[in-house]
Amino acid sequence: MDEPQIAEPLIEGPKQSFWRNLSVVWLVPLAALAVTLFIAWQSWAARGQPIEILFENAAGVTADETMIRYRDVDVGVVESVSFSADLTSVLVRARIDRAVAKALPADAEFWVVRPEVSASGISGLSTVLSGVYIQAAFDPNAAESGVTQFTGLDTPPLVLPGMKGTKVTLRTADGGQLTAGAPIYYQGIEVGKIEAPRLLESGTGVVVDAFINAPHDKRLTSATRFWQTSGFSVNIGPGGLNLSVGSVAGLLRGGLSFDTVFSGGQPIGQGQIFDLYENEEEARSSVFKEAIENPVDLTVEFEQSVAGLTVGSPVVYKGVKIGAVSTLGAFIEDGPEGQIVVLRATISIDPSRLGLAPDTPPAQTIAFFAGAVKDGLRARLISQSIFSRSLAVELAELPDADPATLGVFAITAPLLPSVASDLPDPGATAEGLMKRVNDLPVEELMEQAIATLASVESLAGDENLRAAPDAFVGLMDDARAVIGGPDAQALPGELRQAVAELRGIAEDLRTAEAVAKLVTALEDASEAATSVTEVAEAFDEKIAGVPDLIDGLNQLTEKANTLELEQFLTMATQLLDGADKLIDQDSTRKLPESLTGALDEARTALAELREGGAVENTNATLASARSAAEAVEAAVADLPQIAERIDGLVSEAEGVLAGYGQNSRFNRDTLDTLRELRSAAEALSSLARTLERNPNSLLFGR
Amino acid sequence: MENAGRPTQIVTAREAGLIGCTHCGRVHPLGTRVCTRCGAHLSPRSEASLQRVWAWWIAGLVVYIPANLYPMLRTASLGKTLENTILGGVIELMRHGDVAVALIVFVASIVIPVAKFIAIAYLALSVSHRVRLSAHRRHILFEVVEFIGRWSMIDVFVVAILSSLVRLDFAATISPGIAAVSFALSVAFTMLAALSFDSRLIWDAGKEAEQMEKERSLG
Repeated sequence: MDEPQIAEPLIEGPKQSFWRNLSVVWLVPLAALAVTLFIAWQSWAARGQPIEILFENAAGVTADETMIRYRDVDVGVVESVSFSADLTSVLVRARIDRAVAKALPADAEFWVVRPEVSASGISGLSTVLSGVYIQAAFDPNAAESGVTQFTGLDTPPLVLPGMKGTKVTLRTADGGQLTAGAPIYYQGIEVGKIEAPRLLESGTGVVVDAFINAPHDKRLTSATRFWQTSGFSVNIGPGGLNLSVGSVAGLLRGGLSFDTVFSGGQPIGQGQIFDLYENEEEARSSVFKEAIENPVDLTVEFEQSVAGLTVGSPVVYKGVKIGAVSTLGAFIEDGPEGQIVVLRATISIDPSRLGLAPDTPPAQTIAFFAGAVKDGLRARLISQSIFSRSLAVELAELPDADPATLGVFAITAPLLPSVASDLPDPGATAEGLMKRVNDLPVEELMEQAIATLASVESLAGDENLRAAPDAFVGLMDDARAVIGGPDAQALPGELRQAVAELRGIAEDLRTAEAVAKLVTALEDASEAATSVTEVAEAFDEKIAGVPDLIDGLNQLTEKANTLELEQFLTMATQLLDGADKLIDQDSTRKLPESLTGALDEARTALAELREGGAVENTNATLASARSAAEAVEAAVADLPQIAERIDGLVSEAEGVLAGYGQNSRFNRDTLDTLRELRSAAEALSSLARTLERNPNSLLFGR
Repeated sequence: MENAGRPTQIVTAREAGLIGCTHCGRVHPLGTRVCTRCGAHLSPRSEASLQRVWAWWIAGLVVYIPANLYPMLRTASLGKTLENTILGGVIELMRHGDVAVALIVFVASIVIPVAKFIAIAYLALSVSHRVRLSAHRRHILFEVVEFIGRWSMIDVFVVAILSSLVRLDFAATISPGIAAVSFALSVAFTMLAALSFDSRLIWDAGKEAEQMEKERSLG
């Protein structure tokens, strides 16, 4: 094998230059570098400008995650969350878009958006999942910019910077109904919001900033009045019951309304201060306090109490409000009877309300009043409504009033004469009425009535009692017949003797003082009475159809009553003395006691009945009582007659007794009659006893 | 055989005035441009080859920087967006206790690419500079680099698969970040750099060094 031959060397051309030899691949790293640099530049440019925001509390803010949004578009991201040097607040460093950062004014507002549930709805719900974000708000047109340090807000601002509208301040005494974010309504449309109310430094009131959105802030003038609109209001007035309910949000958070309450207001600027009134009525009536451009002051003195009249109370003329009370006070003046206290009110009158030109000079207005007072214009107090005690001053035309003039003084306001008015005091009247009703002895009255009715019923319901008047009448008739008989006509002379003898008898009775004798005498009297009855029966037959005799007898009786009155009375007295003795006995005394006992029993029985309380019986009892009352009424109508007749009978009987000797037949008859009378009395007594024993059966009609 | 008894001197194709096809191995006389068997482009070893290696290497290194600085994965879950760089992801995995996964990611995404950069640079430099490693070892190193380079794409595959699978809109969405593209490019560039390296240069360099050593000992 041959040695390997050395190959012929390859002759190449001159070596290519370095640049020509350069590979095209070098473009790749160049391109890569370019792209990388571009990406680096882009991300550096997109890093944005660093800013720092101080928060009191940065709950949920996370570095590299929490976004910063402006108008709900991400403009930056939080880079770090740390504390400020003094550890009093949280320092959030963030980078935001350079375009945004350039326009950031110093008063840009940042706040952390968190989920929130409030009366007006739920907000920030998206942050539940995505985490919180920082919302930025600022006015892009603000001149100042380039600021990188901001202070964050704890709560979302109610008025975003850059919003068009008017900010006003409202003053009120009580901020209890004001909540931050409460809506402001104009004609029921929400046109703004209030911010959180804050106390005045003096602590005497509350002010709250309110923001009225742009198109509606044109409505604000110096004639605008704000008032609180709670959710619903109830008004009871002359127009009836008025219930108005606002929106639910208004119900929960309260709200405000405003309106222009009079024309001619001047436009206002930012930060105008308004008073906030409790309600619409107050707001509208407040106009008079401040808006009278050319007020004319008058003084009115009242003698009566002005309780209910306050500063601001209206002054009305024929029902139209023409002014308001501006001051009110008591003054001590020297009167003719020493010092007196005068209640003096100054009232401001709006001339334009009276139909005068608004720029009428006060003197002219006062002259008008002077003329009106001459024609009878007087001030008086009237009540504003029947339900309240608030008063108003009324200028009334009273042509009949005592003549007076408008007192014009150099210094103080003219004095308008006043008249007293009869102010109803609903409270006092009602109270008095109630007191009187309360004081009525209703219980006692009812008890008495029931007791009386029961007694009347038990009395009237008795058969015997009903028959008693008839029996009395019959007895009277009989007695009259006896007296009217021809024998009796001859009796007057004997009557005197009989009386004398009766007197003797009485004396005998007195001297004897023997009960047995009395009993015998009474028995004899009873016999006599029986005889009298017989005689009367006999007479009856004789005198039937002889009315002349009766007339005569009547005349005779009258004569006897009148002419021989003295003697007769003396004898009657003696007789009565005797009778007194008779009645003085125990047996006779028992009768009234028994009757009283019977009535007592009846009453207790009645009380038992009442306690038994049978309601069904009550109606029947009342019905019976009514019928009993009718019966009693009828009976009572007869009673005077009966009484008269008994009177007559007794006197005649006296005469008869006097006219007959003790042993005569007439005397015996008379005694019988007396006995019968006694038995009648006994019957009455037994009736009483029956009542005593069984009063209930009478009540129930059994 | 006069050659017997002493080591056979290795004669390279170049010394023999031939040019070998790098694909099919057939030798051609010098100056042949296209392989007569397989039709591959025949090129003698040259400085231009090394030039391409460096170009790819630099490109790979350039894009490797954003690949590590920018987020690889953007995970949006229930409105919250998380962005992770490669190293950040590894640390995150470590923190969650997935040490094994973290190690795999760390090796595949950081160790291997960095080692590859170093290896390629070493090999490229060894052509013109004297190094201690023998030509044979260097060849093995080259083979390893060429083989393992593709495995660096694990990260990119993971990102590609995740972002195509996890598309649940609001609940969870994974999207590749800038780093994913950069990393893929970086891996591709280093692979190209390795491919561009003509392994024959290792032997040439070894030969030259041997000759220089012989001359020195003779002289």
